[in-house]
Amino acid sequence: MAKPDQSRRKFIGTIILLLAGVFSLGRFLSPNVRQKKTLLSVAKADLPVHGALVYREARVALMREGDVIYALNLVCTHLGCTINVTPTELVCPCHGSSFDRLGRVVRGPADRPLLRYLVEERGDFYEVVV
Amino acid sequence: MLNEFLKHLFPRVVLRKNLTVSYTFCLGGLAFTAFLLLAASGLLLLCYYQPSPGTAFNSILFLESSVWGGRYLRSLHRLASHCFLVLVFLHTLRVILTGAYRKPRELNWLTGFALLCLAVFSAYTGYLLPMDQLALWATQTGMELVNSSFFDTAVRTILVPDGVGQPMSLLRFYVLHIVFVPLALLLLSLLHFYRIRKNKGVLPYL
Repeated sequence: MAKPDQSRRKFIGTIILLLAGVFSLGRFLSPNVRQKKTLLSVAKADLPVHGALVYREARVALMREGDVIYALNLVCTHLGCTINVTPTELVCPCHGSSFDRLGRVVRGPADRPLLRYLVEERGDFYEVVV
Repeated sequence: MLNEFLKHLFPRVVLRKNLTVSYTFCLGGLAFTAFLLLAASGLLLLCYYQPSPGTAFNSILFLESSVWGGRYLRSLHRLASHCFLVLVFLHTLRVILTGAYRKPRELNWLTGFALLCLAVFSAYTGYLLPMDQLALWATQTGMELVNSSFFDTAVRTILVPDGVGQPMSLLRFYVLHIVFVPLALLLLSLLHFYRIRKNKGVLPYL
């Protein structure tokens, strides 16, 4: 026991550093790949040319103006109530915000337009993708 | 074996006076440290970067938004490159002001100048890679500067055969940035360090 042995401390330090390095590298190399989820799929024939299909459970309205097809998120941008779709406008039952068919704010208290989902065409179906 | 190598890499004795910080300010050594940091962080960035005009910017966005530590690593790479350039320039300034370029260190002055140019060139090639607006137009500016020199066609055909921001030129900048320039930097640095010891820089013997 002439010399104090430092090698064990060094060894443990090295092991800890090595493990932290491997762990960090593993985290870095496993990215958060967002899986696309199909919210709903609608047969093309079901969608009227100037109309909308409302899915209250999924809180989505699939809208169509001629060739333009888009999906509105029916969560009110004010406090998150589900919006009612009427032939002329979209009205929130909670605080009376209203939006036009494109989702733009017509009347407050909401101050941001409705969010949109991606609509993809697959064969005979339109699919709303998140 | 590694220990043996390191033992031979470092001198047996040095002069105390030469180890004072104000003698060299360690600028060259710090620059090389920045280079090593750049190599390490760049190696990790290679895992996510995609060198084609359509996907390059998106791969950067993906790296920053969905990869753990991605934004940190990219900032580190960028910051380290700034540090590298600043340190290399300060080192050059120190060498000029202390007259260290004089005999017998002419060769080291030349390799040092080449290293300075390579550092600038590696920063320039790296600047295009994110393919955002800043990158594209900064590179465009650089290429317009080349236009005013008299060997412009040669440089343009080699660096940007199909115009700044096009697939082939992006690929060339990429390859230059990750392989050729760093390799040249490393090899020249080794020569640089070898010459320091040969010229009895911080050593009383040899």
